[in-house]
Amino acid sequence: MSVSLSQKTLDPAELRPLGSKDPSWGRLAAPNPLVRVIKGLLRAAYQEKLSIISLIVFFLLWEGVCYFKIIGPYQLAPPSKVLKLLIAKLATQNPDGAYLWAHALSSLGLALSGFGAATLFGVPLGLLMGWYPRLNHLVRPVFDLLRPIPPIAWIPLAIIWLGIGGVAKGFIIFLAAFVPGVINSFTGARLTNPVLVRVAKIHGASDFTAFWRIGVPSAAPMIFTGLRLSLNAAWTTLVAAELVAASQGLGFMIQMGRRLARPDIVIVGMLTIGLLGAFLSWILSKIERSFFAGRAS
Amino acid sequence: MKSSSRFYPLVLGGAALLAVLGLWLIISQMAGPKILPRPWSILEEIARLWRTPLSGRPLSGHIFFSLRRVLAAFGLAVLTGLPLGLALGWFPVFRKIVTPIFEIFRPIPPIAWIPIAILWLGVGEGSKIFICYVGAFIILVLNSLAGTLYVDRTLVNAARVFGANQKRLFLEVALPAALPAIFAGLQNGLSMAWMCVLAAELVGGREGVGFIIIQGMNMDRVDMIMAGMAVIGALGAIFAALLRVLEKTLCPYRKQLV
Repeated sequence: MSVSLSQKTLDPAELRPLGSKDPSWGRLAAPNPLVRVIKGLLRAAYQEKLSIISLIVFFLLWEGVCYFKIIGPYQLAPPSKVLKLLIAKLATQNPDGAYLWAHALSSLGLALSGFGAATLFGVPLGLLMGWYPRLNHLVRPVFDLLRPIPPIAWIPLAIIWLGIGGVAKGFIIFLAAFVPGVINSFTGARLTNPVLVRVAKIHGASDFTAFWRIGVPSAAPMIFTGLRLSLNAAWTTLVAAELVAASQGLGFMIQMGRRLARPDIVIVGMLTIGLLGAFLSWILSKIERSFFAGRAS
Repeated sequence: MKSSSRFYPLVLGGAALLAVLGLWLIISQMAGPKILPRPWSILEEIARLWRTPLSGRPLSGHIFFSLRRVLAAFGLAVLTGLPLGLALGWFPVFRKIVTPIFEIFRPIPPIAWIPIAILWLGVGEGSKIFICYVGAFIILVLNSLAGTLYVDRTLVNAARVFGANQKRLFLEVALPAALPAIFAGLQNGLSMAWMCVLAAELVGGREGVGFIIIQGMNMDRVDMIMAGMAVIGALGAIFAALLRVLEKTLCPYRKQLV
């Protein structure tokens, strides 16, 4: 692209304020988006240099601890080996019987189905309990009696009742995700602004209409908080269930890694579990944001 | 809703509890005590576990082991996690250095640490305490960090205008303001440690309340499992109640929802 002087087009460099030495003024019209992306990355890297240095130091230390055998090879694997295995596990089934993505898919399927079922039942129950005191009085004692038992304590019972297959795990995950869903939607419905409800009723809304049109929407932020906690609980409990009894899944994979004294398998599994968990909550927060888009806070 | 007298909730709740009890009895009648034992045989089982030792220990010994693990791990997590979280919230440079490393570990559920903890520390007390420690530590750091980070700017600025130095700003403004978040962290951290000790005992252990329920599973004894679950639930409820009392005395200005 050439700029002919005869057209009197201003060179961006001439727009630079007097005395400003910032060179980016001259390159305002940089046409290449790739260049802009790289520049943005460089600027971010400069601003976050402390974080980046600390990460590099961390990984170097980790590598060094393994390289100099300060921690033995049956206890800790260096990051280089972990990375190599992470890539290799995409294409090999050894030594734990399945590809990494097969383990991940099996775990994801279980966690999401348990979470979905718990949301489907728990959120409406919590909302109705928050809105109708009678339902609350009815359900609360039973709920409170079962609540202090951690979902993990249900694992042995679920295995005896339902076997070691997916149904037992789904049941445990359902229990884990159910409680936060109920509690938070209950709180959300309870905290509905009573003025709004009274206004609706004066204008002739029935109790249920008020619940549906005012109670539920105003509880939405709390419902999403509950969903986030449910998702976390579902993912954690899934790992526990797979550690105790499973033939597939990420929890099974890290358990196998321990039995084979292969810390690299364990660490790959742990990182996958962490990444997938973070990814799931990221998706949920995206959904939340698009749900509340265009709403004044 | 005006009809609700003072006893109304009690009546409704009692009716629901009775209905559940009745359903339980019917199912246990139909399915047999091997699948669902009657409620009182669970009480009998608790009494039996209390008197006759299981794998060398009565129930009180198993409870003691689990409690010792949880409290040791929780104590360690409070001693290390709280100061770290407060420092992260107070010093931005420190936060920039530590946060990325912390972020790698944060999304990994503490239970996923069990296999590597066993590789590192064996199947003894060390690995179990370590797992509970990880669980409580992450929650404590996150809560104390959030508490100090989101202190009301107006309060900080007001204190500064009145001439408070950094030390007083931290001790007399930031810390009390962060206390509610810290208490939420203590509660969640303790219940997380309690959950982790169960998981650790389920995966590998010769003692503890988690061992009781996994032993019940191996022996195909549902009454033993349910007795263990009842004990676990009761202990968890006692923990929660104790922390609530502590919170009310130390931090009465925390807003309570519902």
